[in-house]
Amino acid sequence: MWLVRPARPDDLDQILDIAGAQCARLSSTLPRQSEALARKIEHSLASFRGDTLDGEPPRFLFVLENTDTGGVDGTAAIDARAGNGQPFYNYRRDALIHASHELGVSRRVEVLYPSHGLTDHTLLCSFSIRNELRDTNAFELLSRSRLLFIAEHREWFSSRVVVEIQGVQTETGNVPFWDSLGRHFFNMDFETADQYSGMLSKTFIAELMPPNPVYVTLLSLAAQKALGQAHQLTLPNLELLKREGFQAGSYLDIFDAGPVLEARTDTLHTVVTSRRKTLHASHEDSGDVCLISAGDGEGFRCTLTPVAESLDDQLKVPVKTWQILGKTAGDPVRIAPL
Amino acid sequence: MLVIRPLESRDLDDLYAMAQNAGKGLTTLPADRDLLERKIHLARDTFNQRCAPEAGLYLFALEDITTRKAVGISGIQARVGLDEVFYNYRLSVTVNASKELGVHVRTPTLHLSNDMTDTSEICSLLLSDDYKGGGNGLLLSRCRFMYLDEFRKHFSDKVFAEMRGVSDSNGQSPLWDALGSKFFDMEFSQADVLSGLGNKAFIAELMPKYPIYLPMLPESARAVVGKVHNNTAPALKMLQAEGFNFNGLVDIFDGGPVVEAFIHNIRTVRESVNRHAMVTRKPIDLEVPVSERAMVSNRSFQDFRVATIPMNCVDPDTVKLPPEVAEALRIESGDPVRLAPLKDSGPWAGHHYRERNIQYREVR
Repeated sequence: MWLVRPARPDDLDQILDIAGAQCARLSSTLPRQSEALARKIEHSLASFRGDTLDGEPPRFLFVLENTDTGGVDGTAAIDARAGNGQPFYNYRRDALIHASHELGVSRRVEVLYPSHGLTDHTLLCSFSIRNELRDTNAFELLSRSRLLFIAEHREWFSSRVVVEIQGVQTETGNVPFWDSLGRHFFNMDFETADQYSGMLSKTFIAELMPPNPVYVTLLSLAAQKALGQAHQLTLPNLELLKREGFQAGSYLDIFDAGPVLEARTDTLHTVVTSRRKTLHASHEDSGDVCLISAGDGEGFRCTLTPVAESLDDQLKVPVKTWQILGKTAGDPVRIAPL
Repeated sequence: MLVIRPLESRDLDDLYAMAQNAGKGLTTLPADRDLLERKIHLARDTFNQRCAPEAGLYLFALEDITTRKAVGISGIQARVGLDEVFYNYRLSVTVNASKELGVHVRTPTLHLSNDMTDTSEICSLLLSDDYKGGGNGLLLSRCRFMYLDEFRKHFSDKVFAEMRGVSDSNGQSPLWDALGSKFFDMEFSQADVLSGLGNKAFIAELMPKYPIYLPMLPESARAVVGKVHNNTAPALKMLQAEGFNFNGLVDIFDGGPVVEAFIHNIRTVRESVNRHAMVTRKPIDLEVPVSERAMVSNRSFQDFRVATIPMNCVDPDTVKLPPEVAEALRIESGDPVRLAPLKDSGPWAGHHYRERNIQYREVR
């Protein structure tokens, strides 16, 4: 069975393995260096306990565990405050009307403004899963377990949630938006910049990013086309997030111009439709498959379970689900339909 | 013989013909009769002091005395940017550096500026093809420095010129194609014409206001920023010899450079000397090489006239003038005149005389 739980220090090697197999963009929130990752896991565990390290805002790192093998097959994270105490960079796509009454001309000019507007919103990030699991329920479990966690610990998170979706990258690894804009200022290729972004403080972005707004019309055509477009590989995730109520607004990633999805925390589908119930036993192993979570903070567990009966606040599920959640009859759980 | 004099109403036909022949690229003098007529009118008001000093447009004609036709024109705009907004791009550098990463990137950047506002501009130089060569272009251009020097209070301390930028034989400008046209759906030549008709500020309102990072433009456009059109290279060289320098500003349409100088530093101004006219009956051969000629002006605000004479006519206190020159300048013996070398190369006898002149005065 599949279990989502907080990442532990002994997951390190397996997480590195997964991170290494993913495409570049992931590294901005999931470091590929073991020291950095170890620190991230430590910080995450403290966050789950309700502590913070060095006053940094909480960051939660979850893993997807195959309980049959004990192996880790995916990661997902929540940054309680995007930017983690530093500015969170995006481009905001906006328009200006250049008009001349005398010449009878009016023209819409698109501009990308450097923005910190999403700083301190809650950020879903570091989503990665083994390729063979992309079409399974485990995919949805891993992604949505975070929303159950948010629903259960609502006070830890802000009123808006955002997700950065990876942008367009060609088969040869070129990122058209980067090549047309960022490359000129950072003097490095996309991969390098992206890795620095995961490893280093974000100061270098402030130092190197062009400080002034950028006219869209001066970008290469390929870069203009890539604005707000999601990478092909992210489409399933994008669909899932849209069903949750996320929408692409006017914010774009500063490196690859991928869309930033936004939603109000309290209107997220999982937050609205999930219910708190009391755990009871079912002797059958049948019923609709639902997401179920239990436990506070570091004890948080989330899995998939068939639900035999769900009357009033009583929830009847197979006992093996209890075992995976580490709970017994009468304990509170949270349930959401798939 | 040729003489510089203020432009007059009767010059309209000649001016129109010249503007027609000049073709594209001369934005300040388009072949538009009404516009040219208005300009002449403004110039007349300026010389007659019937308009505010800062609104002045001083236009000079080069007249062939024999035919009485205007064969060239040049001008000074007393101030720019007062009744409409005057735009340039400033070519500057943005540095982005990160010590942490050891990255230090310099990005040439164009910033929209109005820095030339309230500054005097030399403009509108046009010489008919038949009269090119023989120092006529020098006379047409440099006579303005003599005027600026004489009547400094009417002008700013600094004076500038916008040089025509690069465009090809079809009138395509690489900078316009890469930048302006993206914001204004128009061919460069069309924008150029509109701007000559006085619509430049309107067009500028449609141009990008935020800085333009040059690396985002194609190489063809980057290459012409601050560069002059081949046809303008001699004019640039002439102004550089006068002490004009690129001031970092470029035209917002074609990227042509702006050159500027302080009036007191202009070579013609520095090398000018005053004399009294002495009309002589002795025959003087006026047809000497350009390098041996001096400009002589009558120092008049309202009827400013300049002709050229051989340098060896200049004596310690006086300057010998043949009657026809005196007549062209509308002066008589004893009237004050001002002299400056026509060409920058070659010795200027005036230096020598000027020094002696000072000593002479001291002795006396």
